[in-house]
Parts: sequence; structure tokens; C-alpha cells
Amino acid sequence: MATQDVSPTLKLLEKSEKISQGAEAKIYRAQLHPTPFTSESNSDGENVLLKYRFHKQYRHPTLDASLTKSRVAGEARAIIKCLRSGVNVPGIRMVDAAEGVLGIEWIEGKSVRFLLGGGAEDEGDIVEDADAAKDEDEVTEVKEEDLLKEYGVSADVVMEMIGTELAKMHQADIVHGDLTTSNMMLRHPASPKGLQLVLIDFGLAYISTLIEDKAVDIYVLERAFSSTHPASEGLFAGVLKAYEKKMGKDWAAILRRLEDVRLRGRKRSMVG
Amino acid sequence: MPGRVKKRSPLKAPDRPFIALGLEGSANKIGAGIIKHDPDGSTHVLSNVRHTYITPPGEGFQPRHTALHHREWALTVINDALKKAAVSMHHIDCICFTKGPGMGAPLVSVALVARTLSLLYDKPLVGVNHCVGHIEMGRQVTGAHNPVVLYVSGGNTQVIAYSQQCYRIFGETLDIAVGNCLDRFARVINLSNDPSPGYNIEQEAKKGKRLLPLPYATKGMDISLSGILTSIEAYTTDKRFRPNGPTAEDGDDVITPQDLCFSLQETVFAMLVEITERAMAHIGSKEVLVVGGVGCNERLQEMMGVMASERGGHVFAMDERFCIDNGIMIAQAGLLSFRMGFETPLAKSTCTQRFRTDQVHVTWRA
Repeated sequence: MATQDVSPTLKLLEKSEKISQGAEAKIYRAQLHPTPFTSESNSDGENVLLKYRFHKQYRHPTLDASLTKSRVAGEARAIIKCLRSGVNVPGIRMVDAAEGVLGIEWIEGKSVRFLLGGGAEDEGDIVEDADAAKDEDEVTEVKEEDLLKEYGVSADVVMEMIGTELAKMHQADIVHGDLTTSNMMLRHPASPKGLQLVLIDFGLAYISTLIEDKAVDIYVLERAFSSTHPASEGLFAGVLKAYEKKMGKDWAAILRRLEDVRLRGRKRSMVG
Repeated sequence: MPGRVKKRSPLKAPDRPFIALGLEGSANKIGAGIIKHDPDGSTHVLSNVRHTYITPPGEGFQPRHTALHHREWALTVINDALKKAAVSMHHIDCICFTKGPGMGAPLVSVALVARTLSLLYDKPLVGVNHCVGHIEMGRQVTGAHNPVVLYVSGGNTQVIAYSQQCYRIFGETLDIAVGNCLDRFARVINLSNDPSPGYNIEQEAKKGKRLLPLPYATKGMDISLSGILTSIEAYTTDKRFRPNGPTAEDGDDVITPQDLCFSLQETVFAMLVEITERAMAHIGSKEVLVVGGVGCNERLQEMMGVMASERGGHVFAMDERFCIDNGIMIAQAGLLSFRMGFETPLAKSTCTQRFRTDQVHVTWRA
């Protein structure tokens, strides 16, 4: 492909619609087909999601370049391994590790975090209220049932789906590394593939057969549940139950390690 | 945004001025501070006195010696604080002390002083969580509304956000604290502990140029630092390492202590900024507050500022008076809970080395 001054990947980004900025990447909605370089007439191509790890100004350039490259490549590798093992993840559409761009399948649906009433990540803009009085704190209250109704499932069923999906992933020796309810999506029942729980954001994922790593992975999710959905801590038990069922004989060892991991945080009160 | 409601703060405006004395001694600093809350809602720092136990280069501070230092200095520091504030013990409404977390022996020494003063002058005691003290003082000084807090010091490394009367810990170090990591490396390369090892690392890092590869260990919202310390220590036995700078016959491929300080700061701070950014994205906040001793590192503040502006937010940071452990923050957090009716009875005025930030019920916030 003929390379001009600007790489084709960045050109594609320019033409795409930025939809949000996550912790380490900007997210764009773009269309790859029929071809992004012909003008206008591509409105009915397939939607893809572009995850652009832009250069972080605060980080030393050398450190930043090596981190970006290894994370894009690592994410693509983990997703492909998941796909091969039948874990529900978005399909890969393009990879440009040097520029820090990963293109994945567009998923029609909402994050589990949003559906459980933990708010949506990208609504930060609205929250800012410069005149908010000093001693007032804002608290969000959302009725969770209403959000899930559209998907025709109860929160308990969603927990079961999470547990099963996690078990499938761990059986394939993939460790997600950043499990939170924001990193799980429910595919809308009206979409071609039907209702599905899809794991997303494999930016910190790695391959490991160690029980330790899997237990830590579960622990990270447990902590995310209690910090994002403090009112519904009982839900997590549902995740573990489904996970246990799917993992079968491997479960006992992971549970034992998980109990160890829970004790590990600093300055916890303990006896003896 | 469906159903977003604003809640009134449960903290009523005081009907008279309240004055609190705060005593802090969880690590190698002993501090006394006096704070006043006026009926019009304003807060005044009347005095903030501190004395630091400084050990020779290459040595850390040991609990027993630190406790001895605190016992020797406690009365001087408290008298000094009272004199600067121009108040007498009789004007004070409550005596706040650090209940934990921290080193056992120094904590106990300072708590003993607090208990004695309480009995002598018949003043109520208020036990304060050290971390909450940092957060409350940071909010007070900077005016940050509801920030994500990065608390980085010699004993703690946590990313904290407030939710439902609790400072929840979103991410933290899995092994050693970042200040501990820097201090221990300062000992390895024999930097002075005066005024603090972290400050001297910062100055050395300004002269460093070469970024050496180190592990980069972020795990979700948590980080791990002990492996980085091991790796950076290993560079000091590398045959390219020149403890006294390059000599005339050396080529470009040498490693100086300045390069190591530079690499250590760049790597470790990048990790801290990254997990803070993660927490910000996760809860949708645009404010960051940096507290704790490492928080007065200007390179960290700069990196945090760049990250915050990339996200359209801003960073709140403070100078060493309020960043490094001090008595005034204990007074501030203690007085807030005292005004909500909280007191620590004498029989319960114990200390604990393990006292997590999220164990405190934050009654004074909605």
C-alpha cells in the first residue's frame, strides 16, 4: 500500500466519529467497507469500533511507544485466542500496532455496569457542575430493573452469563487482567447474534495457566463489584456459582487461592 | 441522567467557633496543628508545627528510635503550636490524634501524649484515621469538590474515591508503598535523608537523561512496586554503573545514579498516573487530588496535570506543608467528626497499625 505523509490508519481515524475516551484510548466508530478511502458513499458498510491508544503526553516517549505497541498486539492476540476457544468477544477487524490502533467488531448493546445502575462511563461531561455548592455531594439513583427489562433478562441471569463466560476464558488460559462490569457488554437481543454476554477490553490480558493469576482475575472483579455496585454485593455470589459450575474440577483450587488473595490487601485487620 | 438527586450535607454550620488540636506521629514526623472552624463556615489554620526524625544516609528510621524522638519532641512541638496559634489549652474543644495506620511504637507515644492532655484539661479525645486526615485536609486546602484521590506516601499508595459515606479504595499497591520504594532506593545509592530521601531523588532525577528499561507492573487498578525496586537495585551492580558519574575514558554506554533516579521516577509515576486515570474513567470524575508525602514531588504533579488536561479536567496538589504528614490534617478530620458528635472514650483511645481508609464511616459528607 502506498504510504503518503500520513499513515492510512490515521486517515481512517480522521474520518471516523469519536464516541468516547476511556482510560487509555479514544474510541471511534468507523466503517471499513467497502473502502474507507472513497468519498461519502460508504454509509451502509459494516460498523467497526476503533480503539486508538493515543500518545500519552505524561509518559516518557520511549516508555509510551513500547507500552502502546505491546498492548495493542497483546490485546489482539488475546482476543484471537478467545475467539478460537469460543468465548464471546468482539471479532478482530484490523490491527496497526505501530500507530496504536485496533479495529474490532461493533457490538450493539450496553455495558453491564450501565444496566446494573452503576451509571455509564462516558457521562462524566454532564456531571460537572461548576456551581455545585461546596458541601453538597451528588448521588445517582437509577432504578435497575427498568434498564434490564429491554433485554428480557434478570440481573441474576446476567450474573450467571458472566460466570460462564469467565470460566470459558480461564479454561482457555486467558487472564483478562481488568475485569470490571464496564468491560462486559450485553448484546442486544434484536441484533443478528441475539442476546449474548460479551467480554471486551483485553488491553491488560495475558496468557497464563497459573491458578494464582485466575484467582486474582476473579478478585479484581469482586472488588469492582463492591466499589461500583455497593448496594448489590449479593450479585457477585451468582457469578461465582456459575463460574464454579463451568470450571468443574478446577474450581476447588481456584477457590482456595481466591481466599488467600482476599487476605492480601494492605493494612487489613487480621487476627494472629 | 435519570434520577440524579443532590443531597444536603449532614454537617451543620457551627453555632460558635470550634478549635481543635491535632497530633500526628504515625511515621518519622511528629506534628501538632491547631485549626478553627468559624460559624460563617470558614476554616482557619492557626498553626502547623512539625519536627522530622532524620537518620544518616543509608539508614531508614526504626520504630523504637522514632518513638524516642517523638517522646523527646512532643511537648516542644505542642507548645510551639499553641504559642503560634495564640490559644491556650483551655480554648480547645477537642484533642485529635492519629489512631492508625502507621508504625506501632511512634503511634503509641503520641496517643499517650493525647490521652494525658485530655485528662489534664478535661477535653474529649477524637481518634482519626491518618489517610482520611490527608484526604480531608486536601479537600479543605484545594477546594476540590469530589475528586479522585491519589494518596501516595511512605506507607500508603491508594487510589480513593468517595461514595456513600465511605472513601472507597479503587486501587492500591499490592506490596510496598511508592514512598517506601523511593526511600529504599535512596538508601542504596546513599542519598541524604535530609529533608527527605524522596526530595533528593527528585533533584537527582532532574539531572538524569537515560531511561532504562524497568518492569511496568499495573494490574487492573492495582500496582506492584517491589519488583521494580529489585530491578533498579540490580542496575547498581551492573558493570556499566558509575556511582560517581562517568569518567573521561567512558563512552556513552554508562549508567549514573541520576539516570536511575530518572528512570525510577518516570516508570513508577507513569504507573500511578495510569491507575488514577483508570479510576477517573471508571467513575466519570474529572478532578484529581494528590495527597501524601510523595504528592509534593513536582514531576508527579506535572505528569498528573498533563493527564488531567488530556481528559479535560484538572489536578489539585499542595506543597509540603500539607502534603507531608502534619498535625493540622488530623485536627481537620477530627474536628469534622467531632462536630458530627463523634468522640473516642478514653478506654477506646488505642492505636492500630492496620486501619484501612474504607473502614471509616464518613458521617460529615452526604
